[in-house]
Amino acid sequence: MLEFNNSTPLTLGVELELMIVNRRDYNLTRGSDDLLLLIDRQPHGYDIKPEITQGMIEIGTAIHTHCSEMLQELQAIRQLLTRNAEKLNLGLAGGGAHPFQHWSEQQIYPKARYQLVSELYGYLAKQFTVYGQHIHIGCPDGDSAIRLGHYLARYIPHFIALSAASPFYQGMDTRFQTSRLTSVNAFPLSGCMPCVESWDQFNDYFQDMAKLGIVASMKDFYWDIRPKPEYGTVEIRICDTPLDIVTPTLLAAYAQMLARHCMEQEWRDISPAHYLTYSYNRFQACRFGFDGVLVNSSSGQQTSVQEDLLSTLNQLQAHAVALGCEAELAALRARVLKRQSDSQWLRDVYQDSGSLSEVVRRQSNYWMHDQPD
Amino acid sequence: MPNFPWQNIALNPLAAFGILLTLGVMGGHIANRIARLPAMTGYVLIGLIIGPASLHILNEDLLRAADLFVNLALGLALFESGRRVDLRWLRAERTLLLSTLTYCLLVFAALYTLLVFAGLDWQTSTTMAAIGMASSPIVILEMMREGRAEGQVSDRLATATALSSLLSLLVFAIALGSAHLFRQQPSADSLLTPAWLILGSSLLGLLAGVLAIALNHWLGHQRQHRTVLLFGLITLLVGLAVMLGTLPSLALLVFGLATRNLRGGESISEPDLLAGSHFFFVAFFVAAGAWLQPQALASHWPLAITYLLLRTGIAMLFWFALAPANCLTRRRGLWLGLALNPLSGGSACC
Repeated sequence: MLEFNNSTPLTLGVELELMIVNRRDYNLTRGSDDLLLLIDRQPHGYDIKPEITQGMIEIGTAIHTHCSEMLQELQAIRQLLTRNAEKLNLGLAGGGAHPFQHWSEQQIYPKARYQLVSELYGYLAKQFTVYGQHIHIGCPDGDSAIRLGHYLARYIPHFIALSAASPFYQGMDTRFQTSRLTSVNAFPLSGCMPCVESWDQFNDYFQDMAKLGIVASMKDFYWDIRPKPEYGTVEIRICDTPLDIVTPTLLAAYAQMLARHCMEQEWRDISPAHYLTYSYNRFQACRFGFDGVLVNSSSGQQTSVQEDLLSTLNQLQAHAVALGCEAELAALRARVLKRQSDSQWLRDVYQDSGSLSEVVRRQSNYWMHDQPD
Repeated sequence: MPNFPWQNIALNPLAAFGILLTLGVMGGHIANRIARLPAMTGYVLIGLIIGPASLHILNEDLLRAADLFVNLALGLALFESGRRVDLRWLRAERTLLLSTLTYCLLVFAALYTLLVFAGLDWQTSTTMAAIGMASSPIVILEMMREGRAEGQVSDRLATATALSSLLSLLVFAIALGSAHLFRQQPSADSLLTPAWLILGSSLLGLLAGVLAIALNHWLGHQRQHRTVLLFGLITLLVGLAVMLGTLPSLALLVFGLATRNLRGGESISEPDLLAGSHFFFVAFFVAAGAWLQPQALASHWPLAITYLLLRTGIAMLFWFALAPANCLTRRRGLWLGLALNPLSGGSACC
């Protein structure tokens, strides 16, 4: 039986998975141990931990009510990481996938859970060297979490388009705005949460899966959105890690505004029919970003991701005021209007330099020092 | 009686090179899979067995025919070694720079004292102590490639190796000039020789670096062309350095260093140059083994062993003591000291 630890509604936290690269050719390097060893020599109190392969590191924020506080914390974590990475001559970068690493060269981090994942999934575990942002939104109870999970599913393409930052994979331009999600899709327990309507129903589903020996914990689900009962949150796992430090807070603000909208209007329209177009819309956003075409499963209408996003942002104005994130809403709107995406920036750098090493070098400067050029 | 071609058979350079590579790879495989030793041990041993000092399958002339590949291997290794010196890192992490400089000076002083004490003249002692300062870039790089080494030990090892080679070459050039100064009447040559060796080599390396970056940018997305360009420039640089009487090793190190540190040079070695250089490295190690003369070592073994032990002892103790300051555990510091062991006789005379 999963216990849902209730939390303060609409509180926020984010986790960012980051690339660790060498500064010779900017390929991924097994630097997580060295970096963690050095960082842990000094007391810092931040949540910084290893990830599945040794070219990754994950940072997590504390619980916040406002995105500006979250940004301050992220900047402090970045300062700590950057100072120590410079000492070890390591680069840290955002982005959803490293442009030219070879999955077979990655080493699984020596931790029991990761070794188990590697044992079960074989090469998929190494291919999982991709980098995402997870957003946690506090929920008052399990039923609210289930409702919010279903509500947010409709907006998954928006998060994909806003965060897309992985056009290159294994040395090639994939022609996708985000190629990272293709790695996630390969896992048998990826996709979306089943169409349960309450926490009790979810618990029944979980118990069935556990009895069948398919899952042992919530971590075994690789869904785009999943409840996180131990934190009392709903976790959005669809975003690529953005290239800079500000975008993660804008994405968090968007999630917070949507969540407030869902909770305020007591949304309950849970239906399997809404999931008819889920995979298709998700693909459109991955492939075309803001230019993707979304199909509304109820009306059958087609709109571009950009139009749908702008229309949604307009509806969220009152929530932005209530949550004190008008600036974030304005920044999001400006980006959507300009079709500004990290994927395009990465392609532009490659077009300009002809070198994927140079792309990662600039990516790394962007994340570590706010220097996009 | 008819005269068949195989009755007076003699290896031509092509067949000899084929034997060198084939047996080398087999030796490396045996060393690695059966004896659990680094493959390069097998390459060198095979060279020793088939070389002039043992079975004489390859004689001196045939070995000289393989010089092109051997020099190219050294060139690639020195270039790549130069690329491991990141001046931006050394500015941020001065401990590494100071540690390496102090280590080199300690080794030089200790070896010089030993050699003078053993009765060698000061010029020979200076040259041999200078050689002792440097670790072999080609051995270190091959060791790292084979062990797929990554992390702080290998990063610091690669940097220390390149810096020690640079220092060693500088002392070598100065020693050469000093020898002129003391052996002959003091003349302008005494000052010009080291100045030409150091400045000429550095300038050549720097120009090659600037040219490589410009051409690399011009070639744009053509990755394969860029790799060939790099091989071409390395070969050209070795040739030019020899023609102009400078130090090819120094020129190549500076070439690598320039491409790593000048703006636009980050993408020079993409894809990784070393991945395509293994062929040359095998040829180098087998040829190096073939050139070995154990008889010469036999006559000076007590001094040679003391020289090596002293060098190893200093390296291990020094890096063990300075491990925490270099962001390493003590055990990793010890490994770093041990890994700096391979001597770099070749880089000074390439």
